[in-house]
Amino acid sequence: MWWLNQAVGLVVKVFLLPFTGLNPWAGMIFISLLTAVLMLFIYKKTSNQNGIKEAKNLIKGYMLEIRLFQNDFGVFLGGLKRLFSANLRYLAYNLKPLLVMIVPIFLLLAQMNLWFGYQVQQPGETLLLKVEFNQAVEVDRLDLEVEAPPGVLVDSPPVRIIDGKEVDWRLKIVELRGGQLVIKNGGEKYAKDISLPQSKLARVSAIRVNQNIWEQLLNPGEKPLPREAEIKKIEVVYPAARLNLFGLKIHWLVAYFVLSIIFGFGLKGWFKVEI
Amino acid sequence: MTKEKEDSSLSRRRFLELILSTSAGLAFFPKTGFLTTKGRRQTARKVLVLGFDGLDPILTAELMKDNRLPNFKKLAASGSFLPLGSSIPPQSPVAWANFITGTDPGGHAIFDFVHRDPGNYMPIFSASESLPGKHEIKLGDLILPLSGGKINNLRRGRAFWQILEDYDIPATVFKIPSNYPPVESKQKTFSGMGTPDIKGYYGLFNFYTNEYKTITEEYGGGGRVHDVFVIGNRVESRIPGPNNPFKKGNPETFVDFKVFIDPVHPVAKIAYQNQEFILKEKEWSGWKKIKFDFIPGQGVSGICLFYLKEVRPKFKLYVSPINIDPADPALPLSTPDSYSKELARKFGPFFTKGLPADTAALENEVLDENEFLTQDELVYQESVAILEDELKTFRSGLLFYYFSNTDQRQHMFYRFLDKDHPAYDEKMAAEFAPVIPRTYEEMDKVLQMCLEKIDSQTAVMVMSDHGFNPYRWGFNLNTWLLQTGYHYLLPGSRPEEVTLFQQTDWSRTKAYGVGLNALYLNLKGRESQGIVSTAEREALTRHLANQLEQLVDPRTGEKVILKAYISREVYHGPYVDLAPDIILGFNRNYRISWNSPLGNFPRELIEDNRQKWSGDHMSSPAVIPGSLISSLPVKLSDPALQDVTAGLLSLFGIKIPPEVTGRSIF
Repeated sequence: MWWLNQAVGLVVKVFLLPFTGLNPWAGMIFISLLTAVLMLFIYKKTSNQNGIKEAKNLIKGYMLEIRLFQNDFGVFLGGLKRLFSANLRYLAYNLKPLLVMIVPIFLLLAQMNLWFGYQVQQPGETLLLKVEFNQAVEVDRLDLEVEAPPGVLVDSPPVRIIDGKEVDWRLKIVELRGGQLVIKNGGEKYAKDISLPQSKLARVSAIRVNQNIWEQLLNPGEKPLPREAEIKKIEVVYPAARLNLFGLKIHWLVAYFVLSIIFGFGLKGWFKVEI
Repeated sequence: MTKEKEDSSLSRRRFLELILSTSAGLAFFPKTGFLTTKGRRQTARKVLVLGFDGLDPILTAELMKDNRLPNFKKLAASGSFLPLGSSIPPQSPVAWANFITGTDPGGHAIFDFVHRDPGNYMPIFSASESLPGKHEIKLGDLILPLSGGKINNLRRGRAFWQILEDYDIPATVFKIPSNYPPVESKQKTFSGMGTPDIKGYYGLFNFYTNEYKTITEEYGGGGRVHDVFVIGNRVESRIPGPNNPFKKGNPETFVDFKVFIDPVHPVAKIAYQNQEFILKEKEWSGWKKIKFDFIPGQGVSGICLFYLKEVRPKFKLYVSPINIDPADPALPLSTPDSYSKELARKFGPFFTKGLPADTAALENEVLDENEFLTQDELVYQESVAILEDELKTFRSGLLFYYFSNTDQRQHMFYRFLDKDHPAYDEKMAAEFAPVIPRTYEEMDKVLQMCLEKIDSQTAVMVMSDHGFNPYRWGFNLNTWLLQTGYHYLLPGSRPEEVTLFQQTDWSRTKAYGVGLNALYLNLKGRESQGIVSTAEREALTRHLANQLEQLVDPRTGEKVILKAYISREVYHGPYVDLAPDIILGFNRNYRISWNSPLGNFPRELIEDNRQKWSGDHMSSPAVIPGSLISSLPVKLSDPALQDVTAGLLSLFGIKIPPEVTGRSIF
C-alpha cells in the first residue's frame, strides 16, 4: 500500500510543485482541470457512448411525452414509468466508468487532502501532538519522551488519557523549519513528520498510521508504523484550511468537485464525450 | 391576579431572563448593508483623540510632577492640561454620551447605567433594548421566526461622527462607550461599553470546580459556578450559551466539553466541538472559538478564554464571558459590518464585550489580582496593536480611540491606594498599590507611540469622561426613603428581604430609587400607580433634594450627598421629561450601595464597602472631573465634555449645529 501511496503522491507532487509559491487556488484550478481531462478520457474509453446517447434521447423523449399528455392521466403515468426506466438505464451505463474511476479518484483525494487540507502555521503558534496506543497498553506506565526537531519546542508535559489509550503533548513552533518528531517509548523510537512550510501551498502529513489498509488509504502521507509497534496512530493536529473566495471560506473538496464538474462539462465537446 | 401584580411578583431570575435575553435577536438581527467609506474628503488638519476612561486629573498631575508621564507632560506643555467637567451623574455611559452628542442628558436620554420602566417600576438597561421578531410560526416546540429581531441603541441625538459625515470628513471611532449597537453611519465605528456578551449579559463568566463556592449572578452579569466531579482524571461539563430563539420557552443552549487531566503532571487537555488544546496549571488559553447551535444550520459563534487555575487538590477552571466573535458577529458590532471582520482578519479574535476585563471574577475571587491583571493586560495589548494599525492608515479627518484599562483597574485597585478604605490590606497594598500609577504610565506609552507616528498637522487630545475617588461607604437610598416616610412596604414585609420593590405599597409611596444616582417620584400619569400630583411635584422634589443634601454620616460627620440635582434645572433638550427627578451627586468617598439600585432595602443606611470594587465615580461631577490634555491651547477655563465636541467640530471648520450645546474649547 505504501508504495502505491508513494507513487500517487509523487505524481501529485510533480503537478503541484510549480504552484507552491502561488495562491492555493492556482493549484486547485490546475489539478481540477487535469482531473476533468483524465476523467473525460476514462469515461470515454470505459463507457458505452452509444448506449448513453440513446438513454439520454429516451429521457428527453419521455419528458416531452409527460409534458404533452399531462391532461391524459393514463399516458402521463405510463410516461413517468418509462422515464424512470430510462433513467435507470442511464445510471447503469455510468456504473462501469464510475467503478473504474473510483479507485484513482480516491487515491487522488487522499493525496490532495495533504496539500489543501491543513493550514500553514506561523511561529508562536501551538499544535497538539496525539499518540494513540493499542488497547492492551497501559499508558500511565509507559516511559515516554518526545524529541522535537530544531524550530519546534515540546511545550507541555504529557497528558496521559488512561481510558482513551492516548498521550498528548503541546508543541510550540519557534521557526518554520519542520523535520521529524521522535517519540521514544522505552527502547523503541517512532518518527513523525512535522511540516512547517513557508510556502502558501505545501504537503502536510498530519497522521502516521499503523498497517491497517483503510487507514493507510485515508492517510497516505507517511510510511505506516511497524506491525509490532504498540502505537496505533501518531497525529499532529493542524487546523483545517479553507480556500478563501472573496471572504467566503470554502472546503477544498467542495471547490475541487465544483471546478472538476465545470471543467468536465466545459471540455466534453472538445473530447467528443457523451456524459 | 392583575397584570401589575404579576409583574411585581416576578422572580429575580425571571426578571434577568426577561430583560437580558437579547438572544432572541441573535440569529436574526437585521444587518446593515455593506457601507463603503470611500470618497471622503482629505482634510488639511487631522485630529487624534485618545479616550482614557476615568483618567483622574489629580493623579495625572501628581504623576506628571514626578516625571512619570513624560509624554503627557510634553503634550500639556505644547497646549493645555485642564480638569474636564463631567456629566451629571459622572457615570461613563452618561458622560461619553455627553461627548458623543455635545449635549447633556436632556439631549441624549442616557441618565444612568440603569433606567426604570414606569409601567412596572422594574430596572431596565439604559443603553440598548432588544426586541424579538414580530411574526413567527410555531410547530410543536419549534419556533420559526418570520422576521428578524431588533436591537435599538437608546441614545438619542446625533453623534459627532455623523455630523462630520455630513461634511464628508472621515472618522474612525473605536470602542467609544454608549454606542451599542453602533448608530448607522458610513464612518468606521466599533461599539464599546454597552456591548453585551453572547448571552446578552454585560459579562457572565463560568467557573468549574469541585470546591464549594458560591457566586451571585448579578444584575446583567457576574458568573456561574458549575459543580463538577473529577472521575478517572476526567471532568465533563457544559458551557452555557445564548437562549435558543427557535425553541419554545427559549431554553439556554449549551456546548459540552471534557477535560482530561494527567494523573501526575499539573496539566490537562480540554476538548469540545472540534477543538482540543492543552493547558498547564495557571495558564491562559488564548482566544478559542465556540459555536452554539439553535437548529441545524442556525447558530451563533463566540470567542472565550480558558484559564486552568488549579488541577489539584481542587479542580478549578475559569471560562471567560463569551464575547461576540468579531469575525462572525452574531450581533452588530461595527459600521460598516465589514470593519469588525477586517479587524478579525488582521488581528484574529479580540475582546468585543463592552467592558472587557472580568471585574466580577476578581470580585468573586475566581480570579486573583494577578490573574485579573494578566487578563486586563491582554485587553491592553490588543488595544495597542489595533491602534498602531489604525495610525498607519490615519490620513485624514478624525481618529477616536478608547482604552478601558484605566477605569477597570481603578475600580478594582483603589483600595490599595486608600489607607482608610474598609477593604485596605497593608500586605497586599505593598504589591498592588503601584498598579494604578503603572496603568497611567502604560497610557503614557500609548501617547508616546501616537506622537511618534503622527505628523505635524495632527492635533492630539487626551481626554477622560470622569476622574476617580475611593468608594468607602455605600448609601442605601431606598432604606432612607423608607425611614423618612417617602416609601412604604406592604404590611408584614421584612424590608431587608425585599428585592425589586416586590413588597412596595405603591398606593402610599411617593419616591423610589432605581439606578446608581437616580431618584424618581411616583408621579401620577407617568408611573403606572403614581400618587404624586403635578401640583405637588415641584415642592416635593425641592423638599427631598434639601433633605438629601442635609444628610450627614454620623460616623464621619461628613455630608453623604454634596448636591442633589433637580433634573429639570440642570438638563436641557427634548428628553428632560424622561429623566429621574433628582440626580444624587455624592460626596467624595460615598456612593450608592450595592443593593439599593435594584429596589432593595438593606438594614443599614450607610454601609462599609468591603468589596474589591473600591474606587468609583458616582460623586458630584465637581468632585471628580475628567482630564483634558490638548496639543492645542484650550481657551475655556472650565471646559466640559460637550465643549470638547464643539471644539472638535470647530477644528474642521464646521458650524456648530444648534443641538450641540457645548462651547468650542478652541
